[in-house]
This record gives sequence, structure tokens and C-alpha cells, in this order.
Amino acid sequence: MSDVIVIGGGPAGLAGAIACASSGLNVTIVDEFIKPGGRLLGQLHQEPSGEWWNGIKESERLHQEARKLSVDIRCGVSVYNLEKENHLWNVYTNSGTLTAPFVLVATGAAEYPIPLPGWTLPGVMSIGAAQVMTNVHRVQVGKKGIIIGANILAFAILNELQLAGITVDRIVLPERNQISQKAGEPEEVMKSLLNAAHLAPSPLLRFGSRFMRRDWIRKIGLNFYPKNGVKVNGTPLQLRKAAIEIIGKDHVEGVRIADIDANGTIIAGSETIYEADFVCIAGGLYPLAELTAVAGCPFQYIPELGGHVPHHSETMETPLEGLFVAGNITGIESGKIAMAQGTTAGLSIAKHVGKGAGTIDEQLQQAVKNVRTVRQHAAIQFNPEINSGRSKMNQLWDDLYANNNREDSPKKIV
Amino acid sequence: MTRIIDHPILGKLADREIITFQFDGNTYEAYENETIAAALLANGIRKLRVHEGSGTPRGIYCNIGHCMECRVTVNDQANVRACLTVVNKNMIVESGKQHPNIFKRMVEQR
Amino acid sequence: MANMGEIVICRCEEVTYGQLQATAEEHKCTARELKLRTRAGMGFCGGRTCRPSLDRILESVIPNIAPGEIPLKYQPPIRPVTFGTVGENQ
Repeated sequence: MSDVIVIGGGPAGLAGAIACASSGLNVTIVDEFIKPGGRLLGQLHQEPSGEWWNGIKESERLHQEARKLSVDIRCGVSVYNLEKENHLWNVYTNSGTLTAPFVLVATGAAEYPIPLPGWTLPGVMSIGAAQVMTNVHRVQVGKKGIIIGANILAFAILNELQLAGITVDRIVLPERNQISQKAGEPEEVMKSLLNAAHLAPSPLLRFGSRFMRRDWIRKIGLNFYPKNGVKVNGTPLQLRKAAIEIIGKDHVEGVRIADIDANGTIIAGSETIYEADFVCIAGGLYPLAELTAVAGCPFQYIPELGGHVPHHSETMETPLEGLFVAGNITGIESGKIAMAQGTTAGLSIAKHVGKGAGTIDEQLQQAVKNVRTVRQHAAIQFNPEINSGRSKMNQLWDDLYANNNREDSPKKIV
Repeated sequence: MTRIIDHPILGKLADREIITFQFDGNTYEAYENETIAAALLANGIRKLRVHEGSGTPRGIYCNIGHCMECRVTVNDQANVRACLTVVNKNMIVESGKQHPNIFKRMVEQR
Repeated sequence: MANMGEIVICRCEEVTYGQLQATAEEHKCTARELKLRTRAGMGFCGGRTCRPSLDRILESVIPNIAPGEIPLKYQPPIRPVTFGTVGENQ
């Protein structure tokens, strides 16, 4: 029997397994995909320093390190239930049940949908799907595509598609409605893009961000926003256009697009069909927390973290004894944060087991501090209010769990 | 679709063994250790199934096992996710078909 | 403008926005009831794709409900399994 089962072999799960195994614990990782790395596998971007962040290399590095420590890594395994029985966790999978006293759930994130007519056609995919097909499988998703939804994830993957020689014709907004909400309002989109302006994909946005934080300037900016958009690395970002319908018979053939005003209202008679053989839906990410939910873990809805997240401490424990979390399941952030959180969770588990002799407290404190440091230096921040989201969860944990006089109650790390 | 052989950052695709497999009775080439979904897309095939009830065409949507849209039948095993399953030599893959929805029709005719 | 009513929200069961909106309004549904009545979110993927959209529809119909107040209820299995697998395991 393993001491620890890690569910999800992405950056958080691999780092968590490495930390556990380094402390002398027996670790098994299960992952649904054909190889370890999770969403890290697809990532490819240039750091402000000019160096490339190559997710495949990073994944391989973590994978090798875990293997050296004899971590049992099982790919192609899906977990469908998680339950506690007699102080042990049962992890039910499509290839048998695994049992261990400790479980680290590092299941990452799923993508928000943007439903629109025609979105079930073959050739319409989530933007993350295009990323994996391009960088991991190395197959072009199409010749010419349109991205619906303008956010940080869309820009990062736009760049990756371009690197692979795929033409992205334009980025447009979804039609404003009850489901797309703010993602269909040019002003809201502009605001969130400006908040991430240090990685702005175009000089205009970078330049604009300095003074366009003022509401009235932003309004004017949007009213004069060029009808054909601002070029982002050659692809027009069209904040004043919305996708109305995806067209095609057996697969995508084009997208019907209309002009919109600064509030997202469609301008009558402005519809045009643009040809495309693939469409990417970029709705953003939400924490994939279903396994902790079936395990009985309480949740909190924190929009800054991307949605519902399981209650957890800064040392990555949940209120359920033996159940730990790390990575995007705790809130949407970069792969580097996921790794730092994974290390924290691994050390936290080691501490619970009683490993690490006298130094474990110090190591754990250091790991928690490291998460904050990595956050401060992050080149990509999915939600500009991330610090506020993290504080909310920490406060909630302190209020609900930290003062219950449990022997192992977490100490506040300042 | 084309394979991305040369990539400015990720480098050249490593040489891999080419295998053959079947999809809906036709033979296609694939690289070893790639997923069914990637192999089919590389052969220009996007449509992996039709909706059981309405018959509308479907292909990959999330590509990481969440959405179940890419489910196909592999060597007689139904509902296998093409995006998570490695294609094997001589594998028989079949697209998902429309089913006569008896219950729905009974309800509608009631 | 798109015909909002005809947009497929739940891809697995092909439940449209119009069906969901009408059902939610008529029955003043809870999340659970809306799913049971329309089968939205109860298909093959278990609601992993459409759940956020369903929640937004409910938020617009149920008076005074804040975003995120809809309970995060999941039931195993969260991945489709054969009866055989469940039988062997439990």
C-alpha cells in the first residue's frame, strides 16, 4: 500500500509527489492522460527575461525527478470516486481501487464554456484543446481559425498557434448574453486585459494601460477602438465584434460575426460571415474540484480564484483528515504556482506522517513563503485580484478551522 | 491536417514508427504512441461520432478527457475517449452512431 | 442576433437555452430539479461542460440568489464507468 496517492500528474501533483517521496514516503500518482505533465505539457511562452518557458521540458524534468525517487506513476487511469473508510482513503479508478491514508487531489482546472449556435460542430474546440493538439500532439488544428473570447489564456495560446504556423484570422468577443456575461462586454474585457497589461500582446495595449485605467478615458478609447481591431502579433483583436453563430454542415466552415457597440449591443445589419476551418472557445478556467466534492469537502465560491474551491489552508490541507489539495483546484494560477503549492502539500503530508525530523516545520514555512514569492514574480496572472482571493480563503480557514484546538491545527505563517 | 514537423522552439519531431489502424472500415497511418484523436486529425478527420439521438456531428471539444465528445468504439469496446487513448497497430476504431431512441419516441407519441 | 432559445447548452443531452429557461421559470426550479426535468447536465460528461452555464441560468431565474450560492453537488461516479468496473471495485 502507498502512503500517499496523488490524483493528477500535472505540475502540482508531480511536485507534491516529489516532496513526499523525498521525505521517505511511498507515492503513487494516477493521471488520465497518456503522459505526465497535465496542462503544463502544452505551455510555451517567453518569460520577461527572454527565456522560453517550455512546458514539455519542465514536465520531463519533474517526471524524471519523480521516477528517480521511485514514485509509481500510472497514466491512463481515471478516478471516478473518492471515499474514506476506516481512516483510509479509497480511490476508485477504472483499473481498480487504490487505498492510502493520504490523498493529494491535484486535478487542475476545466474550461468555462461559451455556448453559441453551431458550437457542437466538429472543428469547434476549447482553446486548451487546440493548445494540447498543437504543442503536445504536434498536429495542426486547422489552417485558419477564429478565437471567441479575449482573455489571458486566449493570448497565450494564440501565440502558441502562431509559432506552429497556424493562422488565427481574428479574436472576437462572444455575443453578450446571460451566459457569456462580462466576456461579451467590450469595456469589461478591456478592463481585465489592461490589468494584465505588463504582458500585453501589443504596444498599443501596453502603452494605453498606463492612463486607460481611468474610466472615462477607457470609454473614449473603446468608442474610437479601430473597427478592424488592434493587431496582436499579426492577428486582429476585435473588441467591437461579436460571434453570433458558427456555420458549417459536417464541420466548421465559418463564423457569423457582427459589430457591437462599447456595451456589447449588436449593431443591426452589420453581420458578415468569415471563413474558418476551426474555432477556439476561450471562456477561461475554473477549478476542477468534483473529486473533493464527492469526498465531502466543504466549498467556498470565490470568483477571484475562478469559482468554487475546496476549503483549504495555506499548507494545503482540507478539513478532511488526510486529504490535501494543490494547484488549480485551489484557484486559477500559473503552472509555477501549482508546483510551489505541490511542494507545500507534499511537505505538509510529510509533517502529518511525522517525517522530516526537526526541520519539517521550517521547510513547510519556507515552502509557503515560496508560493507567495512565486506569485509576486508571476509573468502571467489569470486574475488580477488573486491576492484578495487567496486572503479570503486564508481568513475563512482561520475562522472555521484554525482555532479548534486540534493538535495539528495549522499555525499562521507570517 | 498537417503535422507540425519543425517547430521554432520545440524543435523537430522525433522519428517515430508508423503504424496503421482502421477507422470506419478505412485504413489510416498513425505514429506510434499518439492518441486516436491526434492520428485522425492528422488524417483530416474531424467528425468522430454523431449525437445518439439527433445525429448531429461531433468531434473533439476539450481534448483532455473532460467532455466525452470524442468517444468512439475501439475493438468493440464502446465509449472510449479518442483524446486519451493511444492508437495501436491494427486497432479497429468506429465512430459513434445514431440510435433509434425508442423511449423518446414513446414519450412523444403518448 | 442569435436565437438565444435555440442554443444548445448541454451538449450531451442537447438541451437548449429555451428549454432550460422555460422549465426554470415555470417550476421555479432548484438546480437538482432543473436537471431532472430537462436532463441537462445528466448526460455522458456529467455536466462538466455545461454546469457553469446551468448555474448562470438558475441565478437569473431564482430571486435573490447570489452567484455561487447554488450548491456544488456532485455524485459519483464522476467519470463514466461500466457496471463491471463498479461491481469489481466495491
